[in-house]
Amino acid sequence: MKAFYAFILLFVFSGAAAQQKDLPSVTLTDLDGKKIDFASFAKEEKPVIVSFWATWCGPCLKELAAIHDVYDEWQKETGVKLIAVSIDDAKSVKRVKPLVNGKGWDYTVLLDTNHDLKRAMNVVNVPFTAVIYKGKVVYKHTSYTPGVEKELIKQVKAAMK
Amino acid sequence: MKKVFFTLCGLVMFLGAKAQVRVGFENNSQWYVDDKKIKIDEFEAEDRFRTNSYLKADYDWKNWSFGAQLEGYEPKAILNYSPEYKGFDIGAIYARYNNRELGLDVTAGHFYDQFGSGLLFRAWEDRQIGINNAILGLNVKYNLLDHINLTVLGGKQRIGMGFDLSDSYVFGGNAEVDVAEFFKFEEFGLQAGLSYLGKVEKDKDYIEEMNQNLSKMQHAFSGRVGFDYKNFFGEIEYVYKGKDALVESGVKGNTKQDGNALLFNGGYAAKGTSFSFNLRRLENMAFYSDRVLTANVYNRGVLNYVPALTKQYDYSLQNIYVYQAQYLLSTFETQEKIGEIGGQFDFYHNFEKGSTFGGKYGTNVVINGSYWAGLKPELVEYEDERQIVKTGFLDFGDKYYHDFGVEVRKKWSNNWSSIFMYLNQSYNQKALESLFETIKTNIVSAEATYQFMGDKSVRLEAQHLWTKEDKKNWMAGTLEFAYNANWSVFVSDMYNYGNDIEIEDEEGNITKNRIHYYNIGASFTKGTTRVSASYGRQRGGLLCVGGICRYVSEAAGLTFGITTSF
Repeated sequence: MKAFYAFILLFVFSGAAAQQKDLPSVTLTDLDGKKIDFASFAKEEKPVIVSFWATWCGPCLKELAAIHDVYDEWQKETGVKLIAVSIDDAKSVKRVKPLVNGKGWDYTVLLDTNHDLKRAMNVVNVPFTAVIYKGKVVYKHTSYTPGVEKELIKQVKAAMK
Repeated sequence: MKKVFFTLCGLVMFLGAKAQVRVGFENNSQWYVDDKKIKIDEFEAEDRFRTNSYLKADYDWKNWSFGAQLEGYEPKAILNYSPEYKGFDIGAIYARYNNRELGLDVTAGHFYDQFGSGLLFRAWEDRQIGINNAILGLNVKYNLLDHINLTVLGGKQRIGMGFDLSDSYVFGGNAEVDVAEFFKFEEFGLQAGLSYLGKVEKDKDYIEEMNQNLSKMQHAFSGRVGFDYKNFFGEIEYVYKGKDALVESGVKGNTKQDGNALLFNGGYAAKGTSFSFNLRRLENMAFYSDRVLTANVYNRGVLNYVPALTKQYDYSLQNIYVYQAQYLLSTFETQEKIGEIGGQFDFYHNFEKGSTFGGKYGTNVVINGSYWAGLKPELVEYEDERQIVKTGFLDFGDKYYHDFGVEVRKKWSNNWSSIFMYLNQSYNQKALESLFETIKTNIVSAEATYQFMGDKSVRLEAQHLWTKEDKKNWMAGTLEFAYNANWSVFVSDMYNYGNDIEIEDEEGNITKNRIHYYNIGASFTKGTTRVSASYGRQRGGLLCVGGICRYVSEAAGLTFGITTSF
């Protein structure tokens, strides 16, 4: 039990010290099989929303569908771009491309089949969203209930001020 | 252990003060409480409160990264996790040098990686299923001329806590070439890959006694080609696994057999309408870092990833009869098996806003199905060094499973949206779980969400399962209320009301074996922190995530979880 408390203590220590802001350098694949360095999104002038999702994750599909309904508006107002990072592994990764097309989504979709980015950003559960502005992570959120997307665009606008 | 711990504490504080530290924490706790119907095993009941905790910290400095995952299972791991997960210890630790300009990425320590689809090799972690098959060793990746990626790796596999390692050494290599980019094809994409994985097992007593001619070395290869042209895409992968002893209530070194797998994916993806399919044939594809671990229930020492190629469904009743990939070789008289053959398909269509079926907000339809059968095994004469079970390339044997699903998602107004789903399954319980019969189900699920005052919502979900077999008809429901972006509560129940099997309780009364699996819970989310608590009953059976399953026993009690990261 002692070790367990020590464990919690280490957690508090590291929490107090830690602040991740920069983007980790991890290679992902796009839907055409091209390799992309995640850190390259640091160069984007406009804000970027990164959304971790999976084809088998119900709340993720709801979140991406809800954003799809307002994506045109969001883009006009802020120029924001959404990067949908799929954590589907070999079981379901072949569903990603037809699903994204079938739903008519206009997102940039990247595959994190080996979970390298998921691990690097300590994403435990999906959905997990992050707002990036000028190379810095300015907001992060986990889980989805209807309406949460409004907070997301609020954070995007706040970052741009 | 203490020294390591304080060194790490110091390191984290020191480095944390300087810059980029990434931390993730997860804790899952269970407090088992027996109720009238559900009691946990007497031996297990000695520890009624159990926790699994994971703390991961990574530090980045220029081209370098250092990190560790600490794991605690105190006083014991949650029920049905491997008993090898115990105490508090390092789960993984690594140092990595990654230089984009040089195209070099080197990791020393624990690493996770996979070749192709993972049918040949995959080292991964899934905490929910209790898998951590990391390799402790060296992984070197090199990018050549932009379009060629090479990997060389070697080490020993984790089979318990971080430094509980398999007795064998594994080593391998992977080469991937983007042929289309290399030759500057503009019209279509073409990628190819080749992989090798080798394993050297340690000398063991059983080898000397009865398995003189058992080889320590085992080789496996795979090759694959992927292409896309306009809206069409496809990929083919072949895996060959060299001969190894039959493992079936002990190692049988005199009988050896090789294995192979063939996977084909294809489809058409255009905005609004898409179609895809997977076909796969598996023959004797169990691959473990230590052959004595073959078919162990905790998935310890698994070297490859062979998920069931069926859709993973959302609703509870759809997850009672879940298919598991059948890749084991078995010569038991009633359970002769050598592999599986079959496929699945998905069709997606979006009816546009304003069209007849689309209405004001559009309508989304998904149709999917799968069919899986065993490969027909044919027992051959038992001789030294001989293959013992044969099968033809397209020898379909017993049908194992099929499913067919239709899902319709529809938004009715700014406040209302709904999902409707129908699923038909056939599950050969006799072949898959050595039980009695084939179960045929029809399942209907419907959910409606009402959203109001910005971020408040109510979700109601209702399900019904019809079957004449096993535990007969079920019904289930969930009601969830999200008060705002932070707070949400739910209550759910599933009930096998149709079960007519009679049992006798402790007082000698005869009742029908029906049970409510109810749950009530709440969660709080703020940023990346999520805290959840629930009380209720967990149905026993297979819990499957990502196509890999673990058996969970029936239990009742309080569940508590926390995850956070920064």
